[in-house]
Amino acid sequence: MQKEPTTLSFDALVIGGGIAGGEAALNLASNGYKVIIIEKRLSLGGKMIMLSKVFPTLDCSACITTPKVSEISRHPNITIFTESDLTSVEKRGEHDFVAKVTRRPRYVVAEDCTACQLCEEACPVIVKDQFQYNLVGRKAAYIPFSIASPKVAAIDIENCTLCGACEKVCPPGCIDFTQEPRDYVITAKTAIVATGFKLYDPSNVPRYNYGEAKNVITSMQMERLLAPTRPFHTILRSSDGKVPDKIAYVLCAGSRDDSLGNPICSQICCMYSIKQAQLLMGALPMADITIYYIDIRAYGKGYEEFYEQAAGMGVRFVKGKIGRISEKENGNLTLRYEDLASGKLKEADHDLVVLSVGVKPNSEPAGLFTTHKLELDSLQFVKQSDPLLSPAKTTIEGVFVAGTATGPKDIPDSILSAGSASTEAICYLNQ
Amino acid sequence: MSRINPKFGKELKKYGATEFGSCYNCGTCTAVCSLSTGEDSFPRSMVRLSETGNEEEIAASLKPWLCYYCGECSTNCPQTANPGELMMSLRRWLMAKYDWTGLSGYLYKSLTATIIAMVLVAIGVVVFAAYEKFDMEVIMHSGHMFEMLAIAGVFAVILIPNIARMWYFTIIKPGKNVSFMKYIKSLGEFLIHMFTQKRALGCDDNQKRWFEHFILVIGYLTLLFTTVFLDWFGSESIFVIVLGYVVSAVIFVVTFDFVLGRVKKNKEVSKHSQPSDWFFVIWLLLMGVTAFAVRLFIDLDILENNKWLYLFHLAVLAQWALIIVPFGKWTHFLYRSFAMYFAKLTVV
Repeated sequence: MQKEPTTLSFDALVIGGGIAGGEAALNLASNGYKVIIIEKRLSLGGKMIMLSKVFPTLDCSACITTPKVSEISRHPNITIFTESDLTSVEKRGEHDFVAKVTRRPRYVVAEDCTACQLCEEACPVIVKDQFQYNLVGRKAAYIPFSIASPKVAAIDIENCTLCGACEKVCPPGCIDFTQEPRDYVITAKTAIVATGFKLYDPSNVPRYNYGEAKNVITSMQMERLLAPTRPFHTILRSSDGKVPDKIAYVLCAGSRDDSLGNPICSQICCMYSIKQAQLLMGALPMADITIYYIDIRAYGKGYEEFYEQAAGMGVRFVKGKIGRISEKENGNLTLRYEDLASGKLKEADHDLVVLSVGVKPNSEPAGLFTTHKLELDSLQFVKQSDPLLSPAKTTIEGVFVAGTATGPKDIPDSILSAGSASTEAICYLNQ
Repeated sequence: MSRINPKFGKELKKYGATEFGSCYNCGTCTAVCSLSTGEDSFPRSMVRLSETGNEEEIAASLKPWLCYYCGECSTNCPQTANPGELMMSLRRWLMAKYDWTGLSGYLYKSLTATIIAMVLVAIGVVVFAAYEKFDMEVIMHSGHMFEMLAIAGVFAVILIPNIARMWYFTIIKPGKNVSFMKYIKSLGEFLIHMFTQKRALGCDDNQKRWFEHFILVIGYLTLLFTTVFLDWFGSESIFVIVLGYVVSAVIFVVTFDFVLGRVKKNKEVSKHSQPSDWFFVIWLLLMGVTAFAVRLFIDLDILENNKWLYLFHLAVLAQWALIIVPFGKWTHFLYRSFAMYFAKLTVV
């Protein structure tokens, strides 16, 4: 039997626990406001926590995200709901929001779990690891990833065979298959939408052969290959274990392309590809790395220099968008493109191809608001009511927006927009 | 030194290309084109030349003829610049450029002019028939004579000089050095492409369209041969009569499918129809239908009471022979074959 929903009260409701939502929550909490973060996934940190290093400073992403995330999770003014679905937000009046939230069960008593990973060892079920972007497998009883926050095991109940092996080995006995979804009613005085973006799914483009050709991967998969918490502790082709020595980057894979349903520039792909190329040159000094581009857009502080640094290191930049990728018998790939410098059609062979996938909008928040309309722009990003002077304001008064929910942004810009959203929220709270 | 000529883009719009200005030069079109090669890379190069308005280089280029419009470039263009339709428009522009009379360009750009020309020809046919007091025997004899004279005249006065101009623009003016022997040796290429359109098979998933087009060409040439040289309408030979029925039916079936495709617009190649495309395919269809019906009426012995049918057929024929063949889309049959020939000449 479903119990009556628990009612909780906060000053601010932050939707999304990525780096923008976390930053906004932290700013509010440090100013004395009570904040709740609703996160859909098992861990805070969003996409940033999965990255290898960040441009243009080449800081280790894990090393700067983890302290931030633990600051967020240890803050006395912040309550975090992970593995939770926000189902609706109602605005009853100014400073009066009511949200309905369902917490999905982890089947693990979070308070008791020590993250000892014995359940992982015992679990006989192996499925694809979504946190490693399917490069490797994981168990059905698992810690999401090594720097997850909270670092607590979870049971993937859809794949679990209910064999009970994890239950038997768990030292504190914290595995609990009787857990059920729990409903909450949350009241708050303001809300911040920080629902982030989605990655372009390149399997929509048959010409790229993604999902068919084994050695065509996405840039996010390459991030995982390069990250300190990476699955193989080296760069290799997960199909056959070969260490690649001729790597290609395909820029604008799902960006600036009407025919692929995303006409705009994703703003981050040039830079993260240049970053990955530099990291690869460090990891595989003998490898040739070629970046196929339409235009290199290195527009931020220190970005142009970062691009020149990559070129200076020997990364080849070829102007020409890749039209077709075909797989050869040995798993290598043939890339067909027009070399814009000579105006000639060319073909090039590579042993690993990275698709620099673009940013797609996450339009889910629009459906959450029931009494007022959270408008989206023509591209399905959250609409800013005053993009120039109050970029954090949405079409609902008292609801603010942070990070890539409004459009593609790099990390510094996401953090800045989180600062803007939290400041606007504080102003609104003090009205 | 060539200069930027933005007016050319406006001129080209009248030939059907409206979106190529949004190209941002990524080369996707060239990379997805299955006919593009390292030596002949297109369509992006042609988009670029069109944007800069480099008429001279476009006139010297055979690339528009090397494209058989599968439409992959347009489907995959990130900027929806429609490079496939640009290539088509360049072919129209080139046909006008090659035409020494200048009439082709006029008819391509103006639907009104085309309609007026078509109506005038039809009136001419009716006036001629009235002058002959609608004497069926005389009219049919004259119709047959007209066919022969039109073919000879159009070739001698319009088409051969135009092909000479094409040769001048693409080989002589750009200063390409071709030995006499090369002209002889490459003739095979010319004949193969004229009668098989082999290159169109290189387009992705094009077998059906190629086959339809192939039997249409063969059917058309056979019908021409049957009516003009075997005198189908006057023939007593059962072989000739049946042959005529078969080929006119073939023309009808294939052109009907082509018209249907242009109405449904379900393929890239049939999405953008200019008046010249409609006239070409509909008149071809009408030729097949009316020729079939005329012979049928002869065989049923009811033509004498239905003279209008033959007059209609003759009007369609005259419009075809005097407008569409010399100044319309028909010429692509010749230019494509010669383009393959000329391209072969310059391969080292």
